[in-house]
Amino acid sequence: MAVSSGGFVGKVLRVDLSTGKITTENTRERYAALLGGAGIGYRVLWDEVPAGTGPFDAANKLVFATGPLVGTSVPCNGRATITTLFPTCWPKPLVGSGHMGGHFAAKLKYAGYDALIVEGKADKPVWLMIRNARVEIRDARHLWGSGIRRTTLAISQELGPDCVVAAIGQAGENLAPMGMVINSVSHSAGGVGGVMGGKNLKAVAVQGSGAVRIAGDKAAWEALVKFHLSILGANNQHVVPSFPTPQAEYYNPASRWVGQPGKRWGAAKPPVELAGNIHDPNSIAFRTNSAVYFLGDEAWKYTVRGNGCTACPIRCHTMLKMPSVTAKYGIPDMGQNTCVALMFGRSFFKQLAGKKNNEAAMEACMVGMHLADDLGLWSNYGQLQRDLRKLYEGGYLKAKLGSKEYASIPWDKYDSADPAFLLDLIPRIANRQGELGDVLSRGTGAIFDHWSIPESAWAKDHTTTYWKMGHPKHHANEDDGQCGVIINTQYNRDAQCHSHTNFVRNGLPLEVQKKLAAAIWGSPDALDAPGDYTPANVHKAQRAKWSLLRKELHDALGVCNWMGPWAASPLRERGYAGDDSLESKFLSLATGQTMDREELDRVAERIFTLHRALTIRDMGRVDMRAAHDIVPPWVFEDPSGKAALTKGTIRMDPADIAKAMDYFYEAMGWDKATGAPSQARYAELGLADVGETLAAAKLTPEAAK
Amino acid sequence: MNKDRSISSEWIERAAKASGWEAALTRRGFLKLSGCALAGLAFLNLGEAYGENAPLVILDSAQGVILADPTRCVACGRCELACTEYNDGRAQPSLARIKIARAVNFGLAGPTGGEAMHGDWGDGLVVQGVCRQCPHPVPCATACPQNAIIADPQTGARVVDAAQCLGCRLCQQACPWGMIAFDEQAGVAAKCTLCHGRPKCVEACPAAALRYVPWRDLSRDGSPTRPTLSVVPPETAKACLDCHVTAGTKSAKEP
Ligand code: SF4
Ligand code: SF4
Ligand code: SF4
Repeated sequence: MAVSSGGFVGKVLRVDLSTGKITTENTRERYAALLGGAGIGYRVLWDEVPAGTGPFDAANKLVFATGPLVGTSVPCNGRATITTLFPTCWPKPLVGSGHMGGHFAAKLKYAGYDALIVEGKADKPVWLMIRNARVEIRDARHLWGSGIRRTTLAISQELGPDCVVAAIGQAGENLAPMGMVINSVSHSAGGVGGVMGGKNLKAVAVQGSGAVRIAGDKAAWEALVKFHLSILGANNQHVVPSFPTPQAEYYNPASRWVGQPGKRWGAAKPPVELAGNIHDPNSIAFRTNSAVYFLGDEAWKYTVRGNGCTACPIRCHTMLKMPSVTAKYGIPDMGQNTCVALMFGRSFFKQLAGKKNNEAAMEACMVGMHLADDLGLWSNYGQLQRDLRKLYEGGYLKAKLGSKEYASIPWDKYDSADPAFLLDLIPRIANRQGELGDVLSRGTGAIFDHWSIPESAWAKDHTTTYWKMGHPKHHANEDDGQCGVIINTQYNRDAQCHSHTNFVRNGLPLEVQKKLAAAIWGSPDALDAPGDYTPANVHKAQRAKWSLLRKELHDALGVCNWMGPWAASPLRERGYAGDDSLESKFLSLATGQTMDREELDRVAERIFTLHRALTIRDMGRVDMRAAHDIVPPWVFEDPSGKAALTKGTIRMDPADIAKAMDYFYEAMGWDKATGAPSQARYAELGLADVGETLAAAKLTPEAAK
Repeated sequence: MNKDRSISSEWIERAAKASGWEAALTRRGFLKLSGCALAGLAFLNLGEAYGENAPLVILDSAQGVILADPTRCVACGRCELACTEYNDGRAQPSLARIKIARAVNFGLAGPTGGEAMHGDWGDGLVVQGVCRQCPHPVPCATACPQNAIIADPQTGARVVDAAQCLGCRLCQQACPWGMIAFDEQAGVAAKCTLCHGRPKCVEACPAAALRYVPWRDLSRDGSPTRPTLSVVPPETAKACLDCHVTAGTKSAKEP
């Protein structure tokens, strides 16, 4: 067996739930070329899951993969990528990944595994126990029907308090495509909960006492970690504070760096006041307060502390204590989450969506988090909420839903923006109860299928922010013009890419950003200010490519693409430059094998191209440009009729986007007409076998001719 | 017992006299003549005189101690990782000499459910486990049949001399706060060394929840998870008796 020098812990665990067989394989021997994360996931799907497999078939596999930096003190690691046939992808499930932070990934490494492959289907509910080398499939019949909180408690009583449990709730048990898996209270991976449920797998619980070795020099490693800490900003790598302060040259009110001296974690006992130097590495955890950023300044008084993933100093899962919700809604007064999942409850209500410093909105968030993170229901990046609003406000439900069911839903509470409405609605969806519950539990595509509503009704309406294939936009033209559009065409779910937005929205003035852009992407024209777009150019396409590859790279290394890449920094003395080679420096020291930035980006390109290959194979067609890389019509419109590419609008121009796509395919080395890689391109990236298979199936541009 | 590490009481007395109590006395504990040590030495003279080769049970107090504030802790575990990565070249919370992972989910009482549960699944409070650098009688050092837990000459931290440690784990049993880690790879116990006076964990904390402060006796704060001095090997127990004479009796060896 090859010795694991460092970073990797050496083994991939494989569990066949049909036969009960538990085996391991050598990570480096089989997967070294793909590092980890979705790289391993895509490879397993390519090799082992034939086209035409359904997400809930026993033949579908679930690949929980970490990466070589997971479990170390590299800031912002701790991510697991779960790759499978993604059930909310419409009209046909294709490859996709859910991502979760928390403590699961690191624990899996300490237990000795770089990844876990779950295959087959158990004949009764089970949970998987992993304690270092000891792995057992245990009976979960007593847990079936329990929420994630109770499941976690019960398994922790059985396995020990320091284990990490990744569990599904009722949504996953009911095979809801919108089911999610959760570990460590609030860290969720959307879309994969139902796939676990389909395998009768209630939970995976891990306890590990082993080590992740750092192969390189200890002192060099410590110095690099400290350097990384010095270039960290706040959440999403926003590098300037949101408030003016003599301590910083710039500030930007839109920044997520909200931890202003004088504010306090008001629900800590006693409250913790923020004070001192905002750049102090020992106060990084005070910079970010997601609740304050999303819910308003009022949230400071409900803040207990920040929380988050293993080793991450940012702590974006803000922990809140709001006593009023216990009496009013009968739920615990504690809640924690970030971003869209934090706003899960509020976003259902027209009157509350986006509302800050509003008591009812905050309470709705508490109720939403409590239910969604216990029942294990995903929001599809807020599409669930926008769908319900459109269905209700657009009169679809009144027209399509049976009158008895319609009357059974407390719409009066909805109309008055009463958070108690959620106590009815969310369990309805998670339990797939009635027609409404069932349709919403299947994702946006089910709305089109079930009620014969044309997809265009969503795709033309910019308020839905619907993009394609059953999923919404995720940092598209509202943030980053053509670059955002390109990125949103590429995946089979919402694009989970933050590389681009983390740079564009970092808070620095445009001149500074352009200077940095020139150094990294070869031209200051690689980016525009949001809502002030110039025509497409090669540099923007280069940056789109860079963004996608870094996203795949981060998933493969196990670091957080909600924080990385670190292209900018808060350091004036560096001209606000970050370090674009950070990932390769870390990997080289961890594994003891030097790999430079270009080499590593090539690995990322290999992974991303494998995703493309799987999509082509499973769609059974090569014309990706026409059939897959779709841009919804709302992108080309402006509600007030402003012309595309003028200041003050995010409206894009169809011909310009076509050009942007040309530039992008060129940058990728793909065929421009089809948007697909040639057999030679696969071979250049070390995927010769993949290219051969696709060519034989006439799924390369040249073979299809 | 290792001969080199067992210096006769006579030598200590002579050295102490010659130095006028001011010099550091070299024995396994590298006793320093701080104010604290003077008191200790008074006992030591007696103890050594009567105990012959009985191990030294008194270590001078450490210079500093890690102070942890649970209300600031954000459960990131960066302290645990700094402790093992920067000291041992591997990321391994189970080896860390500061303890977070065990308290993150439910707090130290475990998955009890109920209102009083701490940690991420409870009220959010994470009580960090830190070594108290205990005063005499140092439970871990007293428990060690090898006298492998000694005072670091620089900081006074109670440290494991890996060359002496046999890996019997008695110190692990003895520490009332569960602060002894075990290095499975090397087969020896590991405990907080205070990093030569520059604690890595303190430096790594992103929430300023840890501070390195002048030593004070934290061994009486809070409730230990097990009785102090649960394990005392016979040789050490003999030495204890030299000082802690039963009321109304005299030590057999007292002149
Ligand atoms: S007994 Fe425990 S707390 Fe006291 S010095 Fe030893 S390891 Fe530290
Ligand atoms: S002071 Fe050093 S040895 Fe002690 S817990 Fe902190 S990092 Fe570990
Ligand atoms: S580094 Fe600080 S905040 Fe993080 S776990 Fe340790 S004590 Fe808590």
